[in-house]
Amino acid sequence: MNKTMMVFVMAASVAMAQDGRQIMQEVQKRQHSTSLRYEGSIQVAPIGTTNAKHIVTKHWVFERLGDFGNSKAILRFTSPPEVKGVALFIVNHPNTASDQWIWRPNVGREQRVSVQDRSDRFFGTDFSYEDLEERDVDQFDYTLTGEAAGQWRIDAKPRKPSEYTHSFIFIDKTMYVYNRIETYNKKGPVKAIEYRDYKMVQGIWTPGAALIADGIAKSRTVLTYDKVEYNLPFKDDDFTVEALRR
Amino acid sequence: MILLRLISWPYARKHLPRALLTTAGIVLGVAVFVGMHTANQSVLAAFHETIDRIAGTAQLQVSAGEAGFDEDVLDKVRSVPGVRAAAPVLESTVLVGGTNLLILGVDMLGDRSLRSYDLENADEGIDDPLVFLAQADSIIVTSSFAKQKGLAIDSRIPMRTMAGDQAFTVRGIMKPGGLASAFGGDLALMDIYAAQKVFGRGRKFDRVDLALEDGVPLDQAAAKLRALLGPGFQVEPPSSRSQQFEATSRIYSVASDVTSVFALFIGMFIIYNTFAIAVTQRRSEIGILRALGATRGQIRTLFLVESGLTGLAGTILGIFVGLVLARAMAGYIGGFLGDIYGVAQRAGDISLDPKLAAAAAAMGLMTSLIAVVLPARNAAQVDPVKALQKGKYQSLSEGENRARRIWAAVCWCASLLALAFSRFSVVLYAGFLLSVLAAVLLSPALSLWLARALRPALARIRQVEGALAADGLIQAPRRTSGTVAALMLSLALVISLGGLARASYNSIAEWMRVALNLDLLVTTAENLTNRSFVLPGSLADGLRAIDGVAEVQMVRSVRVLVRGTPVMLIAADDGALRRFSTMQLVEGERPEMLRRALAGSGVIASENFTLLHGGRVGDTIEIPSPSGTLRVTIAGIVRDFSDQQGALFLSRDVFVRRWNDTGISSFGIFLRPGALESEVRQRILDTYGAQQRLFVLTNREVRSYITKLTDQWFGLTYVQIAVAVLVAILGIVNALTVSITDRRRELGVLRAVGGLRWQIRHIIWMEAAAIGIIGLILGLSLGAIQLYYSVEVAQRDVIGVDLSYAYPFPMALALIPVILGAAWLAALGPAERAVRGSLVEALEYE
Repeated sequence: MNKTMMVFVMAASVAMAQDGRQIMQEVQKRQHSTSLRYEGSIQVAPIGTTNAKHIVTKHWVFERLGDFGNSKAILRFTSPPEVKGVALFIVNHPNTASDQWIWRPNVGREQRVSVQDRSDRFFGTDFSYEDLEERDVDQFDYTLTGEAAGQWRIDAKPRKPSEYTHSFIFIDKTMYVYNRIETYNKKGPVKAIEYRDYKMVQGIWTPGAALIADGIAKSRTVLTYDKVEYNLPFKDDDFTVEALRR
Repeated sequence: MILLRLISWPYARKHLPRALLTTAGIVLGVAVFVGMHTANQSVLAAFHETIDRIAGTAQLQVSAGEAGFDEDVLDKVRSVPGVRAAAPVLESTVLVGGTNLLILGVDMLGDRSLRSYDLENADEGIDDPLVFLAQADSIIVTSSFAKQKGLAIDSRIPMRTMAGDQAFTVRGIMKPGGLASAFGGDLALMDIYAAQKVFGRGRKFDRVDLALEDGVPLDQAAAKLRALLGPGFQVEPPSSRSQQFEATSRIYSVASDVTSVFALFIGMFIIYNTFAIAVTQRRSEIGILRALGATRGQIRTLFLVESGLTGLAGTILGIFVGLVLARAMAGYIGGFLGDIYGVAQRAGDISLDPKLAAAAAAMGLMTSLIAVVLPARNAAQVDPVKALQKGKYQSLSEGENRARRIWAAVCWCASLLALAFSRFSVVLYAGFLLSVLAAVLLSPALSLWLARALRPALARIRQVEGALAADGLIQAPRRTSGTVAALMLSLALVISLGGLARASYNSIAEWMRVALNLDLLVTTAENLTNRSFVLPGSLADGLRAIDGVAEVQMVRSVRVLVRGTPVMLIAADDGALRRFSTMQLVEGERPEMLRRALAGSGVIASENFTLLHGGRVGDTIEIPSPSGTLRVTIAGIVRDFSDQQGALFLSRDVFVRRWNDTGISSFGIFLRPGALESEVRQRILDTYGAQQRLFVLTNREVRSYITKLTDQWFGLTYVQIAVAVLVAILGIVNALTVSITDRRRELGVLRAVGGLRWQIRHIIWMEAAAIGIIGLILGLSLGAIQLYYSVEVAQRDVIGVDLSYAYPFPMALALIPVILGAAWLAALGPAERAVRGSLVEALEYE
């Protein structure tokens, strides 16, 4: 056995020895950043449609301060003009559901999104409000259920209340990034999210796009991540309900 | 059957007009009963449907009266274990292009877990909740409303909002069915936070609709919510919202019952009269039948079946006429409830309730059968030998007269005795009925006496014709006694209803003079009963600064549940309280009443509140408020007509504190001496008209609006009066038709011995006039008594206001030409038939 082969076998045996939690901890560790900013564009279309007039495109800016499970984030729509300024403020907590507020400049007030409404679609996209939370690795129980085609399949069961009973997470073995997440509720599969076009940004593998297919709503959302930046010097004061109004 | 075919049918065909007239009473009674109840039921059914559709899958609703409650209540509700979904709602009606549009302000983020908005364009993927939420002018309308107003996606709907004139953009159109069919389809959805701005409701919700998790018992969840929220909140299933509407529309059920029972009662007299005459006319026929072996039972059954068939025909026709009537009435009742109570409702389909149809049929048949019991008994007792003797049966025997008079005296005494114990409603109602019964029993004797009294006068006008006309009545009192009784009862009803209306108008006019002595009223709607919009309290300072304004008074009116009934809570500032305290005092001492009201330790209660719900000065009233139960004493009682269920006048300071609400329903403006109403009004409109929804009404306009509402309120009374007059006319026509037919031979003899046609005509016309005069004298007199009872009943059980007895002399005077004219018109046809018929046939009649 040559040296190269020996390294490969050793690495493989280490990986095989990892359980689901260890893999997810490694994923979280590799994606760690103190803050994040990206410009997203989102397209929602009914599954199977090719008619451009049925495809709705919107743009937003996402800013996050803090890390998994203990972060604050603001997502603010920038276009089209009729939705410009609408923002969602998320405060993630390690052990409880996040707090979320919506700001609507034309109505001139913020509104709390109740926990009971978290399973609703986020403004007509295939994301739910819960999907926009960033949860810590410790908020789930993991079971490694298989591996194939260079990825692990991990079954994640939420420890705190969730719209999903469990999810299958597919992790790329080489990059330790999400390839695909399949979510389920009591009735069966709910939606699938595929992450694509990974590129290295400031030492972090960052997806270029995410494709969400909602089996219930029969629609598809494509989210593209542009101008991604990590570890920016955000101020805590910019992540408050009051700051939403600015 | 054979007797019916051989005897009854040919007789009915021969006297077709009379048969139709006889049926008319039943038709009218059944039509009014079916029409008004069906209309009422349709409006109620539409309201139930609206409640049901709007509630969606909500199992419970949290509310705290019309003023609503703070937004944080929503979080409290959501925190209760077992609550699966909770969504806030704001509900208001606005006038859009002449249509009352129900606007439902809902939280678009979570509301779909309770309500389903089936949008027309949803399947095309252009349903964009983000745009809807981002734009405060977004509105979703129903397809029926869109069609009605020619709206499409992106169409603009102009609306006067509390933030000035605004155009709303249609961003969704709901498919028909489900929620879209609520309120007859005149429904729109708006984001609740945008609706708060539109209606000036601050950060308040009207209610929270909620659904429970599977398996959570409704009672337990409701109990938990009540315990958490406190006594100021109502936690009830959506269906309980119908109760208020039912209470407000109940008055119509009562009124329709009174009108229809009255019409049927009069119809009974008409039937009685017709059959009594028929028995007299057909006595030879009956004698022959008896001689041929017909039993008394068969004769009695024959008349009962004849009457039953008449009743059946009248009922069937009445039901059809009633359904037509219902269509017209439903719109009126819906609109009326909207105007007076702000609970507008558009009735959908008009359909006949089988139970109602059965009740109507039973009423119609029973009326016709009861009416004919006496004539049928008389027919059965016909002696075949005496049957050939003419005229004998026309006069009442002295014994019969005496017995009637004795019974009438007993009834009068009993009714007078009842007056002494009239504080008990049952005794009062019994006394009322006994007085009517006494009048009915006495009417033949009184008719006879009046006919005798009229004879010289009639003879003076036309010596021969007048005397013959009077003799016609004197010699055959049985022929007209039923008609006179019917006419008397009709006119008495007209007088009592008219008197009631007059007393109410007088009281309302006096109330307006005192309570509405302001110069201008700044309000949010031309319709003073619409409380959907609320003005900011801060506007008061701006209004005070306007040139010509001397004083500004603030009033907030909201409906709250007191002792389980919705009553009007009028939160007034010091100036307005002082003004209200000058209303006619019913109980208490004015200075002390005002002192306690101003201090917030007491409320001024309206007289109808205390009469309908109980309460004296010094009693404690518990008023639920979002911050807990407010306990205040009744500081004084005044005569007030603000609300049918009663009103409580409370210091605005207390209201602001307990309801956390600074909104204002109306500002009362008093002008400086010399300031011109029109100029100040224009200044207010110029200053604030463009900034927010605002109407400035002059004192005259306010009064005329209230008068219009009062007219609407008495609209039904006028319908009752019209029915009463119509029945009275029917009675006269019936009596004359019967009389002419009955006296065909007698009139033929007159013509044979040289009587001229114009003389015959005059006899009949004068007889009709005499019936009219007798009916008028008896009716207007009985009306005076009935009015007393009506006023008592109204003030106790209907409006709860002490009304002064006011005999409606103008109405009584107006009735004289109406009834005499109607009598003359009613006499035209029979008179012509009497003079134009074949003399030979007339002489051979009978």
